[in-house]
Amino acid sequence: MTLLAHGVGSRTDLPIPLGLALYGAGAAILISFAALLLLWRTPKLGGSDSGRPLPAAVQRAVDSAALRRTLQAVALALLVLVIAAALGGPEETARNLAPWALYVTFWVGLVPASLLLGPVWRVANPLRLLHRILRAAVPRAPGARRLPALGLWPAAASLLVFLWFELVYPGRAEPVTVAAFLIGWAVVHTGLALWFGEEWFASGDGFEVYSTLIARLSPWGRRGDGRLVLRNPLANATATPETPGLAAVVVVLLGSTAFDGLSRTAWWQTGPGAANDSLSGTLGLVAMVGLVAVLYLLGTRLSGRLAGQPLGVQPRRYAATVIPIALGYTIAHYFSLLVLDGQTTWILASNPFGVPGVDLFGTYGNVLDLAAVSPDTIAYVQVGGVVAGHVAGVTLAHERALRSERHARASDQLPLVVVMVLFTVGGLGLLFGF
Amino acid sequence: MRARRLLVAALLPLTLAGCAGTDAPEQESAASTAASTAAERSGSGDDPATASPAAPAEAAGQRIEVQVAGGQVTGDTGRVPVPLGEPVTLVVTGDAADELHLHGYDLTAELVPGQPAELQFDATIPGVFELELHDAGTVLLTLQVS
Repeated sequence: MTLLAHGVGSRTDLPIPLGLALYGAGAAILISFAALLLLWRTPKLGGSDSGRPLPAAVQRAVDSAALRRTLQAVALALLVLVIAAALGGPEETARNLAPWALYVTFWVGLVPASLLLGPVWRVANPLRLLHRILRAAVPRAPGARRLPALGLWPAAASLLVFLWFELVYPGRAEPVTVAAFLIGWAVVHTGLALWFGEEWFASGDGFEVYSTLIARLSPWGRRGDGRLVLRNPLANATATPETPGLAAVVVVLLGSTAFDGLSRTAWWQTGPGAANDSLSGTLGLVAMVGLVAVLYLLGTRLSGRLAGQPLGVQPRRYAATVIPIALGYTIAHYFSLLVLDGQTTWILASNPFGVPGVDLFGTYGNVLDLAAVSPDTIAYVQVGGVVAGHVAGVTLAHERALRSERHARASDQLPLVVVMVLFTVGGLGLLFGF
Repeated sequence: MRARRLLVAALLPLTLAGCAGTDAPEQESAASTAASTAAERSGSGDDPATASPAAPAEAAGQRIEVQVAGGQVTGDTGRVPVPLGEPVTLVVTGDAADELHLHGYDLTAELVPGQPAELQFDATIPGVFELELHDAGTVLLTLQVS
Protein backbone atom coordinates (compact mmCIF):
# COMPACT_ATOMS: atom_id res chain seq x y z
CA MET A 1 0.00 0.00 0.00
CA THR A 2 1.09 3.56 -0.47
CA LEU A 3 1.56 6.11 2.17
CA LEU A 4 1.38 9.74 2.73
CA ALA A 5 4.47 11.83 2.94
CA HIS A 6 5.09 11.17 6.60
CA GLY A 7 5.64 7.53 7.66
CA VAL A 8 1.97 6.83 8.26
CA GLY A 9 -1.22 8.82 8.35
CA SER A 10 -4.65 8.93 6.79
CA ARG A 11 -4.62 12.64 5.98
CA THR A 12 -2.42 15.67 5.52
CA ASP A 13 -3.05 19.26 6.47
CA LEU A 14 -4.74 21.73 4.19
CA PRO A 15 -2.43 24.42 2.82
CA ILE A 16 -2.46 27.41 5.16
CA PRO A 17 -4.35 30.44 3.84
CA LEU A 18 -2.20 32.88 1.85
CA GLY A 19 -3.06 35.77 4.15
CA LEU A 20 -1.89 33.89 7.21
CA ALA A 21 1.33 32.86 5.46
CA LEU A 22 2.04 36.49 4.52
CA TYR A 23 1.23 37.84 7.99
CA GLY A 24 3.51 35.19 9.49
CA ALA A 25 6.35 35.99 7.12
CA GLY A 26 5.93 39.73 7.66
CA ALA A 27 5.91 39.32 11.42
CA ALA A 28 9.05 37.18 11.29
CA ILE A 29 10.95 39.74 9.22
CA LEU A 30 9.80 42.71 11.27
CA ILE A 31 10.60 41.04 14.59
CA SER A 32 14.04 39.99 13.35
CA PHE A 33 15.21 43.47 12.57
CA ALA A 34 13.48 44.98 15.59
CA ALA A 35 15.32 42.38 17.69
CA LEU A 36 18.68 43.39 16.22
CA LEU A 37 18.09 47.03 17.01
CA LEU A 38 16.12 46.91 20.24
CA LEU A 39 17.23 43.86 22.21
CA TRP A 40 19.67 44.06 25.08
CA ARG A 41 23.24 45.19 24.29
CA THR A 42 25.08 43.07 26.85
CA PRO A 43 24.54 39.34 27.55
CA LYS A 44 21.37 39.03 29.56
CA LEU A 45 20.35 35.38 29.69
CA GLY A 46 21.92 33.36 32.44
CA GLY A 47 24.69 30.96 31.54
CA SER A 48 25.22 27.33 32.42
CA ASP A 49 25.29 28.14 36.13
CA SER A 50 21.99 30.03 36.22
CA GLY A 51 18.67 28.72 37.44
CA ARG A 52 16.78 27.98 40.63
CA PRO A 53 17.92 24.65 42.15
CA LEU A 54 15.23 22.01 42.65
CA PRO A 55 14.81 20.51 46.14
CA ALA A 56 17.46 17.92 46.94
CA ALA A 57 14.82 15.22 47.36
CA VAL A 58 13.62 15.81 43.79
CA GLN A 59 17.17 15.65 42.49
CA ARG A 60 17.82 12.39 44.37
CA ALA A 61 14.64 10.84 42.98
CA VAL A 62 15.30 11.93 39.39
CA ASP A 63 18.94 10.86 39.48
CA SER A 64 18.27 7.59 41.26
CA ALA A 65 19.31 4.42 39.49
CA ALA A 66 16.05 2.79 40.57
CA LEU A 67 13.93 5.31 38.64
CA ARG A 68 16.08 5.01 35.54
CA ARG A 69 16.15 1.21 35.54
CA THR A 70 12.39 1.08 36.10
CA LEU A 71 11.62 3.46 33.24
CA GLN A 72 14.12 1.70 30.99
CA ALA A 73 12.57 -1.67 31.82
CA VAL A 74 9.09 -0.34 30.99
CA ALA A 75 10.37 1.13 27.72
CA LEU A 76 12.12 -2.15 26.90
CA ALA A 77 8.91 -4.09 27.52
CA LEU A 78 7.02 -1.69 25.25
CA LEU A 79 9.72 -2.01 22.59
CA VAL A 80 9.42 -5.80 22.70
CA LEU A 81 5.63 -5.54 22.57
CA VAL A 82 5.73 -3.24 19.52
CA ILE A 83 8.16 -5.54 17.70
CA ALA A 84 5.99 -8.56 18.56
CA ALA A 85 2.88 -6.74 17.37
CA ALA A 86 4.65 -5.78 14.15
CA LEU A 87 5.52 -9.42 13.47
CA GLY A 88 2.50 -11.18 14.96
CA GLY A 89 -0.29 -8.63 14.67
CA PRO A 90 -2.58 -7.84 11.72
CA GLU A 91 -0.60 -7.46 8.48
CA GLU A 92 -2.45 -4.38 7.32
CA THR A 93 -0.77 -1.11 8.35
CA ALA A 94 -4.12 0.46 9.24
CA ARG A 95 -4.77 -2.26 11.84
CA ASN A 96 -1.22 -2.82 13.10
CA LEU A 97 -0.04 -1.02 16.20
CA ALA A 98 3.68 -0.85 15.34
CA PRO A 99 3.83 1.82 12.58
CA TRP A 100 1.58 4.17 14.55
CA ALA A 101 3.43 3.59 17.79
CA LEU A 102 6.83 4.29 16.19
CA TYR A 103 6.20 7.08 13.69
CA VAL A 104 3.44 8.99 15.45
CA THR A 105 3.28 8.37 19.18
CA PHE A 106 6.98 7.81 19.86
CA TRP A 107 8.77 9.99 17.30
CA VAL A 108 6.33 12.91 17.31
CA GLY A 109 5.32 12.46 20.94
CA LEU A 110 8.99 12.67 21.99
CA VAL A 111 8.84 16.41 21.18
CA PRO A 112 6.12 17.52 23.64
CA ALA A 113 7.41 15.02 26.22
CA SER A 114 10.94 16.45 26.06
CA LEU A 115 9.70 20.03 25.92
CA LEU A 116 7.66 19.59 29.10
CA LEU A 117 9.71 17.09 31.09
CA GLY A 118 13.28 17.46 29.86
CA PRO A 119 15.52 14.82 28.24
CA VAL A 120 13.13 11.91 28.85
CA TRP A 121 14.73 9.51 26.41
CA ARG A 122 18.12 9.83 28.07
CA VAL A 123 16.45 8.57 31.24
CA ALA A 124 14.15 5.96 29.68
CA ASN A 125 16.27 4.72 26.74
CA PRO A 126 15.69 0.95 26.85
CA LEU A 127 18.95 0.26 24.98
CA ARG A 128 20.87 1.60 27.96
CA LEU A 129 19.38 -1.20 30.06
CA LEU A 130 20.11 -3.76 27.34
CA HIS A 131 23.69 -2.51 27.17
CA ARG A 132 24.02 -2.70 30.95
CA ILE A 133 22.92 -6.34 30.92
CA LEU A 134 25.23 -7.31 28.07
CA ARG A 135 28.16 -5.37 29.45
CA ALA A 136 28.67 -8.14 31.97
CA ALA A 137 29.84 -10.31 29.09
CA VAL A 138 31.97 -7.64 27.38
CA PRO A 139 33.47 -5.67 30.25
CA ARG A 140 35.82 -3.38 28.36
CA ALA A 141 34.83 -0.82 25.77
CA PRO A 142 37.76 -0.81 23.36
CA GLY A 143 36.75 2.38 21.53
CA ALA A 144 35.92 4.55 24.54
CA ARG A 145 38.88 6.88 24.06
CA ARG A 146 37.92 7.75 20.50
CA LEU A 147 34.30 8.67 21.23
CA PRO A 148 34.75 12.32 22.37
CA ALA A 149 36.43 13.22 19.07
CA LEU A 150 33.31 12.14 17.16
CA GLY A 151 31.09 14.65 18.96
CA LEU A 152 27.49 14.47 17.83
CA TRP A 153 28.30 13.42 14.26
CA PRO A 154 27.18 9.81 14.90
CA ALA A 155 23.80 11.14 16.07
CA ALA A 156 23.41 13.19 12.90
CA ALA A 157 24.11 10.05 10.85
CA SER A 158 21.75 7.82 12.84
CA LEU A 159 18.97 10.44 12.67
CA LEU A 160 19.42 10.66 8.92
CA VAL A 161 19.06 6.87 8.68
CA PHE A 162 15.82 6.93 10.68
CA LEU A 163 14.46 9.89 8.72
CA TRP A 164 15.23 8.15 5.44
CA PHE A 165 13.25 5.12 6.63
CA GLU A 166 10.43 7.32 7.83
CA LEU A 167 10.13 9.72 4.91
CA VAL A 168 11.60 7.96 1.88
CA TYR A 169 11.68 4.16 2.01
CA PRO A 170 8.61 2.99 0.05
CA GLY A 171 7.79 0.14 2.45
CA ARG A 172 8.08 2.41 5.50
CA ALA A 173 4.62 1.74 6.92
CA GLU A 174 4.71 -2.04 6.54
CA PRO A 175 4.73 -3.60 10.01
CA VAL A 176 7.60 -5.88 8.92
CA THR A 177 9.73 -2.83 8.03
CA VAL A 178 9.05 -1.33 11.42
CA ALA A 179 10.07 -4.57 13.16
CA ALA A 180 13.23 -4.86 11.07
CA PHE A 181 14.10 -1.21 11.70
CA LEU A 182 13.60 -1.45 15.46
CA ILE A 183 15.57 -4.69 15.78
CA GLY A 184 18.34 -3.26 13.59
CA TRP A 185 18.41 -0.03 15.60
CA ALA A 186 18.62 -1.92 18.90
CA VAL A 187 21.36 -4.27 17.69
CA VAL A 188 23.48 -1.56 16.07
CA HIS A 189 23.30 0.93 18.92
CA THR A 190 23.75 -1.63 21.68
CA GLY A 191 26.69 -3.07 19.75
CA LEU A 192 28.27 0.35 19.26
CA ALA A 193 27.73 1.10 22.95
CA LEU A 194 29.61 -2.09 23.83
CA TRP A 195 32.44 -0.86 21.63
CA PHE A 196 32.47 2.82 22.60
CA GLY A 197 31.07 2.56 26.12
CA GLU A 198 27.74 3.74 27.54
CA GLU A 199 28.48 7.32 26.55
CA TRP A 200 27.70 6.23 23.00
CA PHE A 201 23.99 6.74 23.60
CA ALA A 202 24.44 10.41 24.39
CA SER A 203 26.37 11.06 21.20
CA GLY A 204 25.21 8.42 18.75
CA ASP A 205 21.64 7.36 19.50
CA GLY A 206 19.60 9.76 17.36
CA PHE A 207 16.45 9.43 19.45
CA GLU A 208 18.28 10.26 22.66
CA VAL A 209 20.13 13.20 21.14
CA TYR A 210 16.88 14.51 19.64
CA SER A 211 15.12 14.32 23.00
CA THR A 212 18.09 16.02 24.71
CA LEU A 213 18.16 18.83 22.14
CA ILE A 214 14.42 19.54 22.41
CA ALA A 215 14.83 19.47 26.19
CA ARG A 216 17.22 22.42 25.80
CA LEU A 217 14.04 24.45 25.30
CA SER A 218 12.38 23.01 28.39
CA PRO A 219 12.56 24.79 31.76
CA TRP A 220 14.60 21.91 33.24
CA GLY A 221 18.35 22.22 33.13
CA ARG A 222 21.49 21.06 34.83
CA ARG A 223 24.03 23.46 36.24
CA GLY A 224 27.74 23.04 35.57
CA ASP A 225 28.05 21.19 38.91
CA GLY A 226 25.31 18.72 37.99
CA ARG A 227 22.61 20.35 40.11
CA LEU A 228 19.10 20.17 38.59
CA VAL A 229 17.64 23.64 38.10
CA LEU A 230 14.51 25.32 36.88
CA ARG A 231 15.38 28.11 34.47
CA ASN A 232 14.30 30.24 31.55
CA PRO A 233 14.18 27.94 28.50
CA LEU A 234 16.16 30.50 26.49
CA ALA A 235 18.91 30.47 29.11
CA ASN A 236 18.76 26.69 29.00
CA ALA A 237 19.27 26.73 25.23
CA THR A 238 22.11 29.25 25.54
CA ALA A 239 23.88 26.85 27.88
CA THR A 240 23.99 24.11 25.20
CA PRO A 241 27.62 22.98 24.90
CA GLU A 242 29.25 23.72 21.54
CA THR A 243 29.84 20.08 20.67
CA PRO A 244 31.25 19.23 17.22
CA GLY A 245 28.44 17.88 15.05
CA LEU A 246 25.70 19.79 16.88
CA ALA A 247 25.18 21.92 13.78
CA ALA A 248 24.90 18.76 11.66
CA VAL A 249 22.17 17.34 13.91
CA VAL A 250 20.17 20.57 13.76
CA VAL A 251 20.60 20.85 9.99
CA VAL A 252 19.44 17.24 9.50
CA LEU A 253 16.34 17.86 11.60
CA LEU A 254 15.47 21.10 9.84
CA GLY A 255 16.22 19.75 6.35
CA SER A 256 14.23 16.56 6.81
CA THR A 257 11.18 18.42 8.10
CA ALA A 258 11.48 20.78 5.14
CA PHE A 259 11.58 17.74 2.85
CA ASP A 260 8.48 16.34 4.54
CA GLY A 261 6.74 19.65 3.89
CA LEU A 262 7.99 19.72 0.31
CA SER A 263 6.77 16.19 -0.38
CA ARG A 264 3.26 17.21 0.68
CA THR A 265 3.00 20.00 -1.86
CA ALA A 266 1.08 19.44 -5.08
CA TRP A 267 4.16 20.75 -6.92
CA TRP A 268 6.35 17.93 -5.62
CA GLN A 269 3.70 15.24 -6.00
CA THR A 270 3.03 16.06 -9.64
CA GLY A 271 6.57 17.20 -10.48
CA PRO A 272 9.96 15.91 -9.25
CA GLY A 273 8.45 13.45 -6.78
CA ALA A 274 5.76 12.07 -9.08
CA ALA A 275 7.51 8.69 -9.30
CA ASN A 276 7.13 8.39 -5.51
CA ASP A 277 10.08 5.98 -5.32
CA SER A 278 13.29 5.66 -3.31
CA LEU A 279 15.37 7.57 -5.82
CA SER A 280 13.28 10.73 -6.02
CA GLY A 281 12.73 10.65 -2.26
CA THR A 282 16.42 10.18 -1.46
CA LEU A 283 17.42 12.97 -3.83
CA GLY A 284 14.75 15.25 -2.37
CA LEU A 285 15.81 14.54 1.22
CA VAL A 286 19.50 15.02 0.44
CA ALA A 287 18.76 18.20 -1.52
CA MET A 288 16.75 19.75 1.32
CA VAL A 289 19.30 18.82 4.00
CA GLY A 290 22.04 20.11 1.68
CA LEU A 291 20.21 23.37 1.04
CA VAL A 292 19.68 24.00 4.73
CA ALA A 293 23.34 23.13 5.42
CA VAL A 294 24.68 25.51 2.77
CA LEU A 295 22.46 28.39 3.91
CA TYR A 296 23.35 27.79 7.54
CA LEU A 297 27.10 27.63 6.87
CA LEU A 298 26.94 30.77 4.75
CA GLY A 299 24.99 32.70 7.39
CA THR A 300 27.15 31.73 10.35
CA ARG A 301 30.47 32.12 8.55
CA LEU A 302 29.57 35.48 7.01
CA SER A 303 28.43 36.75 10.38
CA GLY A 304 31.67 35.48 11.87
CA ARG A 305 33.73 37.21 9.18
CA LEU A 306 31.98 40.54 9.81
CA ALA A 307 32.56 40.21 13.52
CA GLY A 308 36.17 39.12 13.08
CA GLN A 309 35.58 35.81 14.81
CA PRO A 310 37.34 32.52 13.90
CA LEU A 311 35.24 30.99 11.14
CA GLY A 312 35.70 27.33 12.04
CA VAL A 313 33.75 27.41 15.30
CA GLN A 314 30.93 29.63 14.00
CA PRO A 315 28.53 26.89 12.79
CA ARG A 316 28.84 25.00 16.07
CA ARG A 317 28.59 28.18 18.15
CA TYR A 318 25.21 29.15 16.70
CA ALA A 319 23.75 25.64 16.24
CA ALA A 320 21.72 25.82 19.44
CA THR A 321 20.05 28.98 18.18
CA VAL A 322 18.50 26.99 15.32
CA ILE A 323 16.91 24.43 17.69
CA PRO A 324 13.78 26.59 18.20
CA ILE A 325 13.42 27.05 14.45
CA ALA A 326 13.64 23.27 13.94
CA LEU A 327 11.13 22.85 16.77
CA GLY A 328 8.77 25.36 15.14
CA TYR A 329 8.97 23.41 11.87
CA THR A 330 8.29 20.17 13.72
CA ILE A 331 5.24 21.55 15.52
CA ALA A 332 3.91 22.96 12.25
CA HIS A 333 4.26 19.67 10.42
CA TYR A 334 3.38 17.07 13.03
CA PHE A 335 0.97 18.68 15.49
CA SER A 336 -2.10 17.48 13.61
CA LEU A 337 -0.57 14.05 13.02
CA LEU A 338 -0.13 13.53 16.75
CA VAL A 339 -3.59 14.73 17.80
CA LEU A 340 -5.53 13.18 14.91
CA ASP A 341 -3.79 10.06 13.61
CA GLY A 342 -2.18 9.59 17.03
CA GLN A 343 -5.59 8.38 18.21
CA THR A 344 -4.97 5.21 16.19
CA THR A 345 -2.20 4.09 18.55
CA TRP A 346 -4.56 4.15 21.53
CA ILE A 347 -7.26 2.34 19.58
CA LEU A 348 -4.89 -0.41 18.41
CA ALA A 349 -3.02 -0.69 21.73
CA SER A 350 -6.21 -2.10 23.17
CA ASN A 351 -5.73 -5.21 21.03
CA PRO A 352 -2.12 -5.27 19.74
CA PHE A 353 -2.37 -8.70 18.14
CA GLY A 354 -5.80 -8.29 16.57
CA VAL A 355 -7.24 -11.23 18.51
CA PRO A 356 -11.05 -11.28 18.21
CA GLY A 357 -12.79 -10.30 21.44
CA VAL A 358 -9.75 -8.70 23.08
CA ASP A 359 -10.23 -5.08 24.20
CA LEU A 360 -7.80 -4.30 27.02
CA PHE A 361 -8.59 -0.60 27.52
CA GLY A 362 -12.07 -0.52 26.02
CA THR A 363 -10.84 1.73 23.21
CA TYR A 364 -10.67 -0.81 20.38
CA GLY A 365 -14.16 0.13 19.21
CA ASN A 366 -13.35 3.84 18.98
CA VAL A 367 -13.44 5.42 15.56
CA LEU A 368 -10.69 7.83 14.54
CA ASP A 369 -12.10 11.35 14.84
CA LEU A 370 -10.34 13.30 12.09
CA ALA A 371 -12.44 16.39 12.76
CA ALA A 372 -11.33 16.68 16.42
CA VAL A 373 -9.27 19.80 15.63
CA SER A 374 -10.56 22.35 13.13
CA PRO A 375 -8.46 23.34 10.11
CA ASP A 376 -8.35 26.92 11.43
CA THR A 377 -6.82 25.78 14.70
CA ILE A 378 -4.27 23.66 12.84
CA ALA A 379 -3.31 26.60 10.60
CA TYR A 380 -2.87 28.96 13.58
CA VAL A 381 -0.77 26.40 15.45
CA GLN A 382 1.37 25.91 12.33
CA VAL A 383 2.05 29.59 11.69
CA GLY A 384 2.31 30.34 15.42
CA GLY A 385 4.86 27.52 15.87
CA VAL A 386 7.04 28.67 12.99
CA VAL A 387 6.98 32.35 13.96
CA ALA A 388 7.54 31.68 17.68
CA GLY A 389 10.46 29.38 16.82
CA HIS A 390 11.90 32.11 14.64
CA VAL A 391 11.63 34.77 17.33
CA ALA A 392 13.30 32.48 19.88
CA GLY A 393 16.02 31.63 17.34
CA VAL A 394 16.83 35.25 16.55
CA THR A 395 16.87 36.14 20.24
CA LEU A 396 19.24 33.26 21.03
CA ALA A 397 21.53 34.21 18.14
CA HIS A 398 21.65 37.79 19.41
CA GLU A 399 22.61 36.64 22.90
CA ARG A 400 25.19 34.23 21.49
CA ALA A 401 26.80 37.01 19.47
CA LEU A 402 27.06 39.25 22.54
CA ARG A 403 28.61 36.40 24.47
CA SER A 404 31.35 35.80 21.94
CA GLU A 405 32.10 39.53 21.80
CA ARG A 406 30.80 41.94 24.38
CA HIS A 407 30.28 44.85 22.05
CA ALA A 408 29.24 42.94 18.95
CA ARG A 409 27.70 45.23 16.37
CA ALA A 410 24.12 44.46 15.45
CA SER A 411 24.99 44.61 11.76
CA ASP A 412 27.45 41.69 12.16
CA GLN A 413 24.52 39.40 12.86
CA LEU A 414 22.74 40.37 9.69
CA PRO A 415 23.79 37.38 7.53
CA LEU A 416 22.64 34.82 10.09
CA VAL A 417 19.38 36.68 10.69
CA VAL A 418 18.76 36.80 6.95
CA VAL A 419 19.30 33.03 6.76
CA MET A 420 16.88 32.51 9.66
CA VAL A 421 14.32 34.68 7.84
CA LEU A 422 14.85 32.51 4.75
CA PHE A 423 14.24 29.33 6.80
CA THR A 424 11.07 30.79 8.24
CA VAL A 425 9.68 32.24 5.03
CA GLY A 426 10.60 29.00 3.25
CA GLY A 427 8.87 26.99 5.96
CA LEU A 428 5.73 29.10 5.67
CA GLY A 429 5.92 28.74 1.88
CA LEU A 430 5.96 24.96 2.27
CA LEU A 431 2.94 25.12 4.57
CA PHE A 432 1.18 27.29 2.01
CA GLY A 433 2.17 24.76 -0.63
CA PHE A 434 3.54 27.38 -3.02
CA MET B 1 -31.84 3.64 -9.86
CA ARG B 2 -32.69 1.11 -7.19
CA ALA B 3 -29.03 0.27 -6.88
CA ARG B 4 -28.16 3.92 -6.39
CA ARG B 5 -30.72 4.40 -3.65
CA LEU B 6 -29.37 1.30 -1.97
CA LEU B 7 -25.87 2.70 -2.21
CA VAL B 8 -26.84 6.00 -0.61
CA ALA B 9 -28.64 4.11 2.13
CA ALA B 10 -25.54 2.02 2.73
CA LEU B 11 -23.24 5.05 2.83
CA LEU B 12 -25.34 7.22 5.08
CA PRO B 13 -24.51 5.46 8.36
CA LEU B 14 -20.89 5.33 7.25
CA THR B 15 -20.49 9.06 6.83
CA LEU B 16 -22.28 9.55 10.12
CA ALA B 17 -19.91 7.10 11.77
CA GLY B 18 -17.01 9.08 10.28
CA CYS B 19 -17.68 12.10 12.46
CA ALA B 20 -19.37 10.46 15.42
CA GLY B 21 -16.28 9.44 17.34
CA THR B 22 -17.08 6.19 19.11
CA ASP B 23 -18.94 3.72 16.93
CA ALA B 24 -18.18 0.05 16.91
CA PRO B 25 -15.77 -0.90 14.09
CA GLU B 26 -17.96 -3.87 13.18
CA GLN B 27 -20.67 -1.45 12.25
CA GLU B 28 -18.28 0.60 10.17
CA SER B 29 -16.79 -2.37 8.37
CA ALA B 30 -20.23 -3.77 7.74
CA ALA B 31 -21.26 -0.47 6.23
CA SER B 32 -18.18 -0.27 4.05
CA THR B 33 -18.63 -3.82 2.78
CA ALA B 34 -22.18 -2.95 1.96
CA ALA B 35 -20.95 0.16 0.20
CA SER B 36 -18.39 -1.70 -1.81
CA THR B 37 -20.81 -4.39 -2.86
CA ALA B 38 -23.36 -1.75 -3.71
CA ALA B 39 -20.78 0.17 -5.67
CA GLU B 40 -19.79 -3.00 -7.41
CA ARG B 41 -23.37 -3.74 -8.26
CA SER B 42 -24.02 -0.27 -9.60
CA GLY B 43 -20.76 -0.49 -11.55
CA SER B 44 -21.25 -3.95 -12.93
CA GLY B 45 -24.96 -3.57 -13.72
CA ASP B 46 -25.91 -3.85 -17.37
CA ASP B 47 -27.94 -0.67 -16.99
CA PRO B 48 -25.93 1.87 -19.04
CA ALA B 49 -27.45 4.78 -17.10
CA THR B 50 -25.20 4.07 -14.11
CA ALA B 51 -22.13 4.95 -16.12
CA SER B 52 -23.49 8.13 -17.69
CA PRO B 53 -22.18 11.27 -16.02
CA ALA B 54 -25.34 13.36 -15.54
CA ALA B 55 -27.98 11.22 -13.93
CA PRO B 56 -30.75 13.42 -12.45
CA ALA B 57 -30.61 11.81 -8.98
CA GLU B 58 -27.20 13.35 -8.30
CA ALA B 59 -27.57 16.79 -9.78
CA ALA B 60 -26.22 18.29 -6.55
CA GLY B 61 -22.62 17.73 -5.52
CA GLN B 62 -19.39 17.08 -7.31
CA ARG B 63 -18.64 14.23 -9.69
CA ILE B 64 -14.98 13.30 -10.09
CA GLU B 65 -13.97 10.79 -12.73
CA VAL B 66 -10.69 8.98 -13.22
CA GLN B 67 -9.57 6.38 -15.74
CA VAL B 68 -6.67 3.97 -15.23
CA ALA B 69 -5.12 2.18 -18.21
CA GLY B 70 -1.75 0.43 -18.22
CA GLY B 71 -0.75 2.15 -14.99
CA GLN B 72 -1.49 5.60 -16.47
CA VAL B 73 -4.08 7.71 -14.70
CA THR B 74 -6.17 10.20 -16.68
CA GLY B 75 -9.16 12.39 -15.90
CA ASP B 76 -9.53 14.44 -12.71
CA THR B 77 -6.13 13.54 -11.30
CA GLY B 78 -3.81 15.59 -9.12
CA ARG B 79 -5.14 17.81 -6.34
CA VAL B 80 -8.95 18.06 -6.57
CA PRO B 81 -10.56 20.77 -4.39
CA VAL B 82 -13.94 19.96 -2.83
CA PRO B 83 -16.01 22.33 -0.65
CA LEU B 84 -16.56 21.05 2.91
CA GLY B 85 -19.90 19.27 3.33
CA GLU B 86 -20.49 18.81 -0.40
CA PRO B 87 -21.80 15.44 -1.66
CA VAL B 88 -19.10 13.81 -3.77
CA THR B 89 -19.23 10.98 -6.30
CA LEU B 90 -15.91 9.41 -7.24
CA VAL B 91 -16.04 7.28 -10.38
CA VAL B 92 -13.06 5.14 -11.29
CA THR B 93 -12.72 2.97 -14.38
CA GLY B 94 -9.71 0.68 -14.55
CA ASP B 95 -8.24 -2.03 -16.77
CA ALA B 96 -7.18 -4.28 -13.89
CA ALA B 97 -8.92 -5.73 -10.85
CA ASP B 98 -8.02 -3.81 -7.70
CA GLU B 99 -9.52 -2.15 -4.69
CA LEU B 100 -10.20 1.56 -4.37
CA HIS B 101 -9.38 3.14 -1.04
CA LEU B 102 -10.14 6.70 0.02
CA HIS B 103 -7.94 7.42 3.06
CA GLY B 104 -9.30 9.30 6.05
CA TYR B 105 -12.89 8.66 5.07
CA ASP B 106 -11.80 5.03 4.92
CA LEU B 107 -14.10 4.08 2.04
CA THR B 108 -13.38 1.14 -0.24
CA ALA B 109 -14.88 -0.28 -3.42
CA GLU B 110 -14.00 -3.23 -5.63
CA LEU B 111 -12.63 -2.27 -9.01
CA VAL B 112 -13.63 -4.66 -11.82
CA PRO B 113 -11.78 -4.24 -15.15
CA GLY B 114 -13.71 -2.11 -17.60
CA GLN B 115 -16.54 -1.32 -15.23
CA PRO B 116 -16.84 2.03 -13.45
CA ALA B 117 -16.72 1.79 -9.64
CA GLU B 118 -18.34 4.52 -7.58
CA LEU B 119 -17.80 5.97 -4.13
CA GLN B 120 -20.48 8.36 -2.90
CA PHE B 121 -20.12 10.33 0.29
CA ASP B 122 -20.51 13.75 1.88
CA ALA B 123 -17.17 15.53 2.25
CA THR B 124 -17.56 16.21 5.98
CA ILE B 125 -13.93 15.81 7.14
CA PRO B 126 -11.60 18.70 6.24
CA GLY B 127 -8.06 17.92 5.10
CA VAL B 128 -6.14 16.40 2.21
CA PHE B 129 -6.85 12.74 1.47
CA GLU B 130 -5.45 10.26 -1.04
CA LEU B 131 -7.52 8.03 -3.28
CA GLU B 132 -5.39 5.03 -4.10
CA LEU B 133 -5.48 1.64 -5.75
CA HIS B 134 -4.84 -0.66 -2.85
CA ASP B 135 -3.01 -3.47 -4.66
CA ALA B 136 -1.13 -1.48 -7.29
CA GLY B 137 -0.32 1.26 -4.77
CA THR B 138 -1.08 3.98 -7.34
CA VAL B 139 -2.36 7.30 -6.03
CA LEU B 140 -5.21 8.31 -8.36
CA LEU B 141 -5.84 11.75 -6.92
CA THR B 142 -5.75 13.72 -3.69
CA LEU B 143 -8.97 15.21 -2.44
CA GLN B 144 -8.58 18.61 -0.81
CA VAL B 145 -11.65 19.19 1.36
CA SER B 146 -11.92 22.75 2.71
